[in-house]
Amino acid sequence: MSLTILSKQAFQDFVARMLADYRVAGPTPKNGSYVFEEIHDPSELCMDYPTTLLPPKKFLLPTKEVLFKYTRQNGGVLQDPPETPPTVLLGVHTCDLHAIQLLDTVFSSGHYDVHYMNRRKKTIIVSIECLSPCDEHSFCKSMGTLTADEGYDLHLTDLGDRYAVDVGTKAGEELLAKYATVKTADKEDIQQLNAVISAKWPKFPYRLDFDVSELPSILELNMKSPLWQELGDRCLACAACTNVCPTCFCFDVKDEVELNLVDGQRVRQWDSCQLDEFATVAGGHNFRASRALRQRHRFMRKGKYILDAHKHLGCVGCGRCARACLVDITPVGVFNELYRQQEAGS
Amino acid sequence: MSANGKPKIAFFDFTSCEGCQLTVVDSLQDHPELLNVVEIVQFREAMSEKGQDYQIAFIEGSCTRESDEARLKAIREQASVVVALGTCAHLAGVNALKGLHPLEEVRKYVYGDKWEWYETYDARPIDAVIPVDFAIPGCPIDRNEFIAVVKALLLGKKPPIPDYPVCVECRLKENVCIYTKGKVCLGPVTRAGCGAICPTYGSSCEACRGFISNPNQDSMKDVLAEAGLSVDDILQIYTMFTTYQVREKLLQKG
Repeated sequence: MSLTILSKQAFQDFVARMLADYRVAGPTPKNGSYVFEEIHDPSELCMDYPTTLLPPKKFLLPTKEVLFKYTRQNGGVLQDPPETPPTVLLGVHTCDLHAIQLLDTVFSSGHYDVHYMNRRKKTIIVSIECLSPCDEHSFCKSMGTLTADEGYDLHLTDLGDRYAVDVGTKAGEELLAKYATVKTADKEDIQQLNAVISAKWPKFPYRLDFDVSELPSILELNMKSPLWQELGDRCLACAACTNVCPTCFCFDVKDEVELNLVDGQRVRQWDSCQLDEFATVAGGHNFRASRALRQRHRFMRKGKYILDAHKHLGCVGCGRCARACLVDITPVGVFNELYRQQEAGS
Repeated sequence: MSANGKPKIAFFDFTSCEGCQLTVVDSLQDHPELLNVVEIVQFREAMSEKGQDYQIAFIEGSCTRESDEARLKAIREQASVVVALGTCAHLAGVNALKGLHPLEEVRKYVYGDKWEWYETYDARPIDAVIPVDFAIPGCPIDRNEFIAVVKALLLGKKPPIPDYPVCVECRLKENVCIYTKGKVCLGPVTRAGCGAICPTYGSSCEACRGFISNPNQDSMKDVLAEAGLSVDDILQIYTMFTTYQVREKLLQKG
């Protein structure tokens, strides 16, 4: 859509003004790393952060949430949890934006997940263009997530003393109109935006040794690769990889009863296919009892199953799992090794 | 069951610091309504009465002498449900460290020239002596977990003790990984349920809650070795709370 310009000072004012009406969350520093956190003042933000510990997904699918409260008295009464306030999510990188698009598809198709979708509908996303890689672990360029054409309400590109703002939706346009003082981009702004964008691409390396379109078939042909057992031997099954992943959406549902044993709440919390108990079913049978099978399942989902089911790749190349893994199991390493084995065998 | 329909519960202590019972007292301050659903008939740390007609027994402490055995068996005989309260009862905990040295040496070190006056043998978890229905892990126990276990028992459910590692809780709290700070941590093999309290405050997990059911110990040791720990260093951290578990495992392997 249209392109406007927001000075850095105007951006601060923009955020300060929206704080009156919205819960605002964005990247903030924490112990040498960064986390998406609710902010109460624009100065808490760090918009040129490299990456965050957990993805912004947690504002749409909280690590733990109450689905409803109940009482067993009077034949049983259910009560909805308090509604999420309207939220603006600031500074979302494009890898995470692609991940949210996948989550939107997952939670709105088939079983419509009212909890996620209610929150999603109340969330305005202001994303930001990445101008240099987070670190050596990111491989967004290989996964096609280094930029985004849609999925945001507003999209910022840092031009030094100002942001170029691309309006993606009506909601974004209204937010800007109501809270921001902008100016229309002139020729010089557009020239600088083009220069910044063309300068960024060479800074990001391709890290997969093949084109990502080949990934599903590489995985499918390598179901029996000895690599899975090697990964299983190393994997600690600590679930760090899935817990930091922006596209993982598995959860467990539990009832928590009050001490009066009458009232309680049903909660859901993030779960992980890497944990022993995940695939344990009634009667105690575990249909993915080995770490090797669980790692295989994880990578199959990231590179094939999710794509088959939801038309989006299950990996966006953010590199969080690679950073988090204590035994150096990384998507780039695994995918390239499978490709190498396939090339060597053919 | 008492006349008011509330199950009667009792607390007992063996070799321990009694910190877990202190945590129970603490939980009662946060949750006084616990007393609406149970009747405590014996709890040396909190009351003088010593009722003997309890249904649920919470036992803190390890079995460290022959005379403990009869007392444990008597509790087992009375209680319908026996719960090991904390690491000393659950896994023998730090008490088991003395098993790493000749017993006579240990006794002399602790009791000096009066060492023969005091009866003692290698520390064991209480399930080495009596059948134990459930355990609440931790040194000390987590107060919220204690309440959750009581609620589960009252509903006739299996207590919700996690069987996944501390890393899960740690990551979800967005702690910076202890390994990133150049230190080591046993989080990847240790049973969660503590809310990753030590890493949250910047300290390494020392496995006070014992290991998960299926830890990848070989890979864990590789990680520790890669972090620069010698075999002795690794043994040291593995024997802080889990000596008994590690020794049992070695004995099984022969």
